[in-house]
Parts: sequence; C-alpha cells; structure tokens
Amino acid sequence: MVGLSGTEADIINCVARLKLAKKDQIRRQVGFSLEYIGYVCRDLIRRRYLGFSKGHYFLAKDGIKTLLSEETPKVDRKLLKALAGEVTRQISGELKRIVKGIKIPVSVREIRKERGFEPSEEGIKIKTDFDLPVEDESLTLETNIDRVGTRMEKEKSDDMDKTVRLLKELHKPKGNGLASHSQSHKPRGRKR
Amino acid sequence: MSKTKTNKSEIEGLKGQIQKGKGVDIGTMFVKCAHKESGEIVFRSQRNAFFGVEHTDFTKKILDNSRVKYIIKGDNLYVVGDEALQFANMFNKDTRRPLSKGVISPTEKEALPIVELLIKSVVGEPTHKGEIVYFSIPGEPLDADFNVIYHIKMVEGFLKTLGYAPKPINEAHAIILSELAEEDFTGMGLSFGGGMVNVCLSFMSVPIFKFSVAKSGDWIDQQVAMAVDETASRVSSIKESSLDLSKEGDLSKIESALSIYYNHLIEYVIESIKQEFAKARRLPKIPKPISIILSGGTSLPKGFSGRFKQILDRLKLPIPVGSVRMASQPLRSVAKGALVAASADESKR
Repeated sequence: MVGLSGTEADIINCVARLKLAKKDQIRRQVGFSLEYIGYVCRDLIRRRYLGFSKGHYFLAKDGIKTLLSEETPKVDRKLLKALAGEVTRQISGELKRIVKGIKIPVSVREIRKERGFEPSEEGIKIKTDFDLPVEDESLTLETNIDRVGTRMEKEKSDDMDKTVRLLKELHKPKGNGLASHSQSHKPRGRKR
Repeated sequence: MSKTKTNKSEIEGLKGQIQKGKGVDIGTMFVKCAHKESGEIVFRSQRNAFFGVEHTDFTKKILDNSRVKYIIKGDNLYVVGDEALQFANMFNKDTRRPLSKGVISPTEKEALPIVELLIKSVVGEPTHKGEIVYFSIPGEPLDADFNVIYHIKMVEGFLKTLGYAPKPINEAHAIILSELAEEDFTGMGLSFGGGMVNVCLSFMSVPIFKFSVAKSGDWIDQQVAMAVDETASRVSSIKESSLDLSKEGDLSKIESALSIYYNHLIEYVIESIKQEFAKARRLPKIPKPISIILSGGTSLPKGFSGRFKQILDRLKLPIPVGSVRMASQPLRSVAKGALVAASADESKR
C-alpha cells in the first residue's frame, strides 16, 4: 500500500470525524483550495481510501483499515506518543520481571553513554585535496555564442557595497574567506 | 587627440572600474555570472539546455542569420539557450540538459564540453590571474543516492584552467549573503531551482545546516507531464509564462496539475527542514524570529510565497519564523551572493 502524505492523512481524519463530508467541509478543516481537495479526494477514491456518493465523501475499505490498524496517519501525535510510551513501559516491565537483573537499554546512544563513549558530533572530514587537472573540452566545439553574445542584465550596486562591508566586519578576525564554511557545519559566534 | 586614442583611454578607464571578484550560479536551468562594474552589478546568463537539429550548412546559416546560438560537435548541431526550449516545443520533444539535479549529468554524454562552454561564455577571462570566483554548489541531497564531490572538483578544475582562483559556496548560503545583510546574515535561504531545492540555515553568516532535496522544478514538470500527457518542455513553458498559484478557480488541466504538484513539493521541503532540525544536536539561540528567503526559478510563479506561507502555517517549524519573503531578484540572488563573498575576499588581499 502506498503511504499517505500529511494532507491525505488529514483528509481521512476529517472524513472519519464527519462520517459524511462535503468537499467544502473538508476544505474548511484541512485548508487549501477546493480544486486541490477535489484532486486529492479523487486520488484517495481511486486508491480505495474514500468513497463518494451524492456529493458526500465517506471512508472506504482501506481508509477504515488505515485508521484501525495498518498505517498511522498523522493524527493526534500526543496521543500516539502517550500510547507508544505506555506500551514500551509495559513490555519493558514484563521483560524485567522475566529476565531479572538485565538492564534493557533504550537506544544505541544510551549504550554508548553507559560505556563512556559519545559519538563524535562531526562526521569524518576529508583533509586532503586532489587538484584535478581539467582540460577545456569546449575547445573542440564550434559555436557562434561569442558572436551572438549572452543575456545581460544590470542593477545598481549601492546595497552590495554595504553588504560586503558588513560581511567583512563579521569575518575580520578569521580572514579565511567564506569557502572555509562551505563544508563546515559548526556554528560560531560573532567575533568583532 | 585621435578617435582611436580616445576609445583606448575610455576602455582603459572602464577596465579600472571593473572590480575584482566574480560570482557564478551554476544551476540546472541557468548559468549566471555576476561582476561589479562602474557602480552596477552586471549579470550574464545562459540557459543550460540544448536541442539537436539536423546539421546542414543551410540550417547553420539560418541559425546564424536569426542570431540563434548553436554548438557543433562532430556531426551534431545543437541549438543552445532559450531557443533550445522553443525548438523542443516546436518538435514536441524535450530539451537535453548538461546538468541534472544540480550536478553534471552522468547520463548526458555531451554534458561536460557543453557546460564548460556555457560557463566560459558567461564568466569570460579573469581580470587578473588568480581572480577569486565563488561558484554555487548544491548541498548534499537527503533523498538521492549521489554526492556532489565530482561535480565540485570538475567545475573547480575548469575554472582554474581559465585562470581563476575558484571557491565553492552553497547555493542557499549565497542567497543569505545576498538578501539578509540587514538581519546579520541570520535566517534561512531556500533556492527552488530546476533540479533541486537547496536549504541553508545560517547564523551570523555561518551555515548551521544545509542540504538539498532532489525534487524541484524538473520534478514538477515531469510529474505534470505524466499526469496530463504532455511533454515536460511544454509544461515548463506554461509554468514559466502564465502560472498563477494564487488563482483558485478557472484553472486549465495543466494549471491544476501544476498547482497540485507545487503543493506537494512545498510540503515535502518543509517536512525535510523539520527533519533536519530534529537531527541537529546543537542549535545556537537565535534571539528573534528568523526570516525565510525564497528564491530560484521554480519560485517565480505568482502566488508562490503565499502558498508557501499557507503550508508553513499549517506544518510549523520548531523555531519562530518572522517574515517569509521572495528574494529581491529571485533569479539573481545566488550569483549576487557569490559575488558578495568574492568581493569580500578580494578586498582582503
């Protein structure tokens, strides 16, 4: 079964709440234009999540199945989290009773924490550089681009000078240029 | 003073007014270069598309007379630029593209020489050896099994061959440099390009996270083309010329499909941003709501920012958002941001 997008799940939830829903009622609750709602509903009918009769949409076989078991549409996330938490606690308690003394870690991260190993925040950084000699393959081409020219546009650069000054101010102490950030994910504070 | 001498001194004078440093936006749809000259930013651009036509002397002559750009490689004659799209529409076919999903197309055998030629035609020669040029690169894609290293190295190597000192800059980061100076370069830049959507969250000009998704304008064109049985080139023409996303009724079949897929794309991008926030372990405390800048050719249809805001209001980001606005010039902001970076570097020399 193909998964549901957020909007599709919202529509199914809306129809489930209203039992019989007009396109306009769905639009009011879910948002978007009537055309878009109509399109998504038609697609949901084709995929048997919804049915349609006398101007009203209703839940079809797969829509009901989705709500009951198979898929989890994006509904009431708080409730889902609470339910999931409750189930986890019950299973965990059950297991602890059966296998006494064995700690059940919740995640790989917790295992690492227990063993005093925190994964590195950054991925591996490649420090070597391969200077690739690239030949100008375009020299083999015949073209009239130089004669016809390129499209040219112009705009005043007053704002740009100010922007460049501000940027230079921000990067004064480092002076390495912005390329040093292009592979970095580390946030750094403002240094003046 | 003779006329020749006057012209010569005028040219020398103009050369003096060309500032050092260039910014190049190498996008799936366009290659655009920005440089500063006599108090103005000059943008030169080429559409990144070509279309094969019959190679005869007669065709070549007609193209020359009509000032239609072409490239000849061996026995093949290719129309390039905007006219490639017009030719493709005339023949009810799709254009060929040297770049796909933001990088040099792995499946297009003519990709490299053509993309080199297009870059060379907009960048020109450096004003001095080792002139700094910042070129845009996409972020690592979240949803596609490829990386951008090969693309970066090829473009970098080619610009070096031309005599430049090239430096890569993330496309969405360049938008922040171009548009968010007033906000201390803090905020989010989104570039809705032809092949990808690029996203960068920046704090004080430093990227906190950046990524791309391999769905954007081309994906919309292809999906709509399949849905309504049209060519992607024709869908693209309609998208670029007349689409209005704020229109609610009286939509043609293609417009309805475009509207639907725009919705899907925006929702997909916002959900991807939310995922990145969830993954980020360290986020700086940003004291005020951030601005989001929308840019790129796919963001051009009327009503795009309204549609984006509408969906963002529903899906919500985990940090407060202030304004959501279009870049002042959505097709120029990447090249301009790259030029800002290049100018800042050049002036430090």
